[in-house]
Amino acid sequence: MGVTILQQFPMLENRTGPQTIDFLTKRVVALGAIQCGQFLVDCDTYMSTPSLGPQRTVHVMHNSEQPASVFSLLESSGKTIPLVADGLFDLLMLKMTPIYTKKQTKVESKGPRFELADFCIKLGSVTISQNFKGVLVEVEYRPCVVPATCWDLLREFLQGFLGSCVPSMPPQYLQPRMNEIYQPMDTIQQYLEHFSMYRKASGVLQFN
Amino acid sequence: MSQPVSTAVDNLSAALKSNIIPNQEYLLQGSVVDTAVEVLLHRLRGLCDNVDSGPETFNDHEMCFSIVNVEGGASPQPLLLRVRRALDYPDMPWQLRYIGQQEGTGDKSRPTIVRNSIDIGTSSTVVDFLTEMGCRMDFEYIARGYMFRKGRMKITVTKIFKMGPGKSLDSVEPISQSYLVELSVLAPTGQDAIAEDMRIFAEQLRPLVVLEKVDYKRLPPMGP
Repeated sequence: MGVTILQQFPMLENRTGPQTIDFLTKRVVALGAIQCGQFLVDCDTYMSTPSLGPQRTVHVMHNSEQPASVFSLLESSGKTIPLVADGLFDLLMLKMTPIYTKKQTKVESKGPRFELADFCIKLGSVTISQNFKGVLVEVEYRPCVVPATCWDLLREFLQGFLGSCVPSMPPQYLQPRMNEIYQPMDTIQQYLEHFSMYRKASGVLQFN
Repeated sequence: MSQPVSTAVDNLSAALKSNIIPNQEYLLQGSVVDTAVEVLLHRLRGLCDNVDSGPETFNDHEMCFSIVNVEGGASPQPLLLRVRRALDYPDMPWQLRYIGQQEGTGDKSRPTIVRNSIDIGTSSTVVDFLTEMGCRMDFEYIARGYMFRKGRMKITVTKIFKMGPGKSLDSVEPISQSYLVELSVLAPTGQDAIAEDMRIFAEQLRPLVVLEKVDYKRLPPMGP
């Protein structure tokens, strides 16, 4: 477990999702990365029944990197409460209906997973209910667990194969947590931030 | 190498289909007065598996939550959830437990209570999570005692304490002059043979403790 940065890769108008993934695959392979399977991060969202009072939202997420865990984020009156649980938490959420009901839009990011020395790179196609929405690139630097001490290295590495779309500042979610020990939940929170943006946007996010 | 990863939902439905999830609890309960507990512990030490190491002790804090779907008809059934944490091992995961309606209380052919149960290890944020989700904490207590094992069976001898004022753990007061004794097995659906093993084991503990199916519906109602 190291520090992970999630970065959106802009879509060009003349390039489809699979073409973009192919394009990035060629770049990382040229750097010497070796493909090690596939990865998947998914998110199901449950809404509370109106009779429960103020609207509450529970995002239930899975990451193939931590296959035995279920990550949940509860959004309630401006607060977000994280919960890490065993796989059976999914079963409990089924018992929660009709107090909490699942929204139909499942968000996923999936694609090839690569290893390159101390880095792990994942090229994810984001889909909402099977509709392609964009490309999210995840890079993990595995020997380090404090974001502040490896952000510069990660940024340089990301810029090396993604180019100028990588900002000079760390992702917003990580900014107040740069000196804390990085946890798998931090990766999930970054995914949720991006997934929420894709949910709000209509169609594929284009590069301007 | 580029085999697609299966989703968590696929894995869960496969596990449900092959019936490997232990989601049924078989349960018998009884109690002994404080003065008789040593004799029972001695008997259990002789009967159970962990003879050499002696019984495992525990010191847990349990919180009982419920959530009601008010749209669930005239008499909606609350969903019961319990959170348990080891006070003596603060770094261990917390345990979240769903307990369903009990079955088999009136059925003489079934030797034990059977109830649906889902046990989930969680992070320590679970209490905040449930509270914000809209669950209400009905009561809480401290449970201290001994745990024995006999094959798949678990036997606990528990003293229940009231939570001290201001949730202090220093000045806890026992709720009664007796110990709660529970014999339970968590197993996948349909393994009713285990109930018979439990009945036989409970027989071996008579007359030190009488383990029975306790019908909660017949107990006097609690609280307001």
